[in-house]
Amino acid sequence: MISPAHHNLSLTLKIWRQPHADAPGEFRTYQLQDVSPHMSFLEMLDILNEQLIEKGEEPVAFDHDCREGICGMCGMMINGQAHGPDHETTTCQLHMRRFEDGDTIVIEPWRSRAFPVIRDLAVDRSAFDRIIQAGGYVSVKTGQAIDGNANLIPQQDQESSMDAAACIGCGACVAACKNASAMLFTSAKVSHLVQLPQGAPERKKRVLSMISQHDEEGFGACTNTYECEAACPAAISVSHIARLNREYMKAMLTSKE
Amino acid sequence: MNWLITTLSSTVGRKFVMGLTGLFLCFFLVVHLAGNLLLYVGPEAYDHYAHTLHEQKGFLVVAEVLLFGAFIVHILLAIKLSRGNYAARQISYAKASSKKESRLVANVVAPEAWMFWSGAVVLGFLILHLGDFKFELWWGTSLQAIDSPYDKAGVILRNSLRLFVYTLGSIVLGVHVSHGLASAFQSLGVNHPKYTPCIHWCSIAFGWIVGIGFASFPVIWSLTESAAAP
Repeated sequence: MISPAHHNLSLTLKIWRQPHADAPGEFRTYQLQDVSPHMSFLEMLDILNEQLIEKGEEPVAFDHDCREGICGMCGMMINGQAHGPDHETTTCQLHMRRFEDGDTIVIEPWRSRAFPVIRDLAVDRSAFDRIIQAGGYVSVKTGQAIDGNANLIPQQDQESSMDAAACIGCGACVAACKNASAMLFTSAKVSHLVQLPQGAPERKKRVLSMISQHDEEGFGACTNTYECEAACPAAISVSHIARLNREYMKAMLTSKE
Repeated sequence: MNWLITTLSSTVGRKFVMGLTGLFLCFFLVVHLAGNLLLYVGPEAYDHYAHTLHEQKGFLVVAEVLLFGAFIVHILLAIKLSRGNYAARQISYAKASSKKESRLVANVVAPEAWMFWSGAVVLGFLILHLGDFKFELWWGTSLQAIDSPYDKAGVILRNSLRLFVYTLGSIVLGVHVSHGLASAFQSLGVNHPKYTPCIHWCSIAFGWIVGIGFASFPVIWSLTESAAAP
């Protein structure tokens, strides 16, 4: 699918414009000429914004930070796919060579009741922060740094835990899920901590609190369609959701609270 | 009991119960299909099976309470979950496209995208089916006059409305369980690199067997209508 064309692209962009959360939004169409295939998707939007500013129009608001695929800030629905057509790729790492000359690209914000639109393509993902605050941490006594070998962790447990910890919290799982469920995100955080000895003491309280917060935020339930796994730029597996389900029911049946 | 209410109010707890009741109902489908296949063996075998089953009064009461209980819980939770899931999206996308590579069929016709609606069709089929075979409604006295369960089944299956509803209902049921069986395992927390691929393919095979198996009865009986008519 990589465009063989070395020449620049002419694109039609249909972008969701919404001044603020309570205002009605609409799609607006922009023509963009001379887009280099070497640009990233966000650089293409930068060019559009420069042109909009020159014309005295409001630039398109979108989230971004590191532009290296690791911070989790960027993210938008590109032609109906979270972060665009590439797998294990964030929007900032998507390149314009992935598109053809003359393409129409539809760009929308993440759609979820729990992610209200702040402006245009930027959504408020603080619901994720509140899920983390509910239990996505390990309580430890601070003070002297503990001895490096005090907690021996088998290498395979470390690896499995790190697979879950790779989640960057971008929200693509919620965006891609037909139920706007944040189960892949929540399961990654639960799975990351529960596989380490430091996370074991709070395992029951953690999973119960995080799921309670997940539901309170208004995310949907997981119906095992696995669109989240396909959309995840960090390749988080749905096997973590199964672990979350086990942890939740174990905690529910055996917790003293 | 607070914890039980909390569990049944949470998304994970509800899906767990959906999985449990779903697996139980799948088990029932296996038993039911196995029993029905005796229709192909002959009137004696089927009638013997039906009479023996109906003589087990105590077992039937327990089985029916469990079955109705599982159905009601499964249906109520499906309504609750679907309403919550629908509300969670709030605004639908102007354009939506799957990123799953293994997709054999387009996203819009995938079984998992229509679980609530396929379940609703199955429920409609089930109401007619129970009305026919269990309660013998809508038939006046015509069924009561027939002694043999095999002959009763023949009369019901040869009805043109039943041919349509039973065939459609069976196929939709097959589609429903082709996702439901594997999904139940995931909801119960069973996901393992050794077994999950097998569960996935077994679930699809189960869907085909259930769909073709149950749909075969009205189709075959309608085809043999003239030959079997007295």
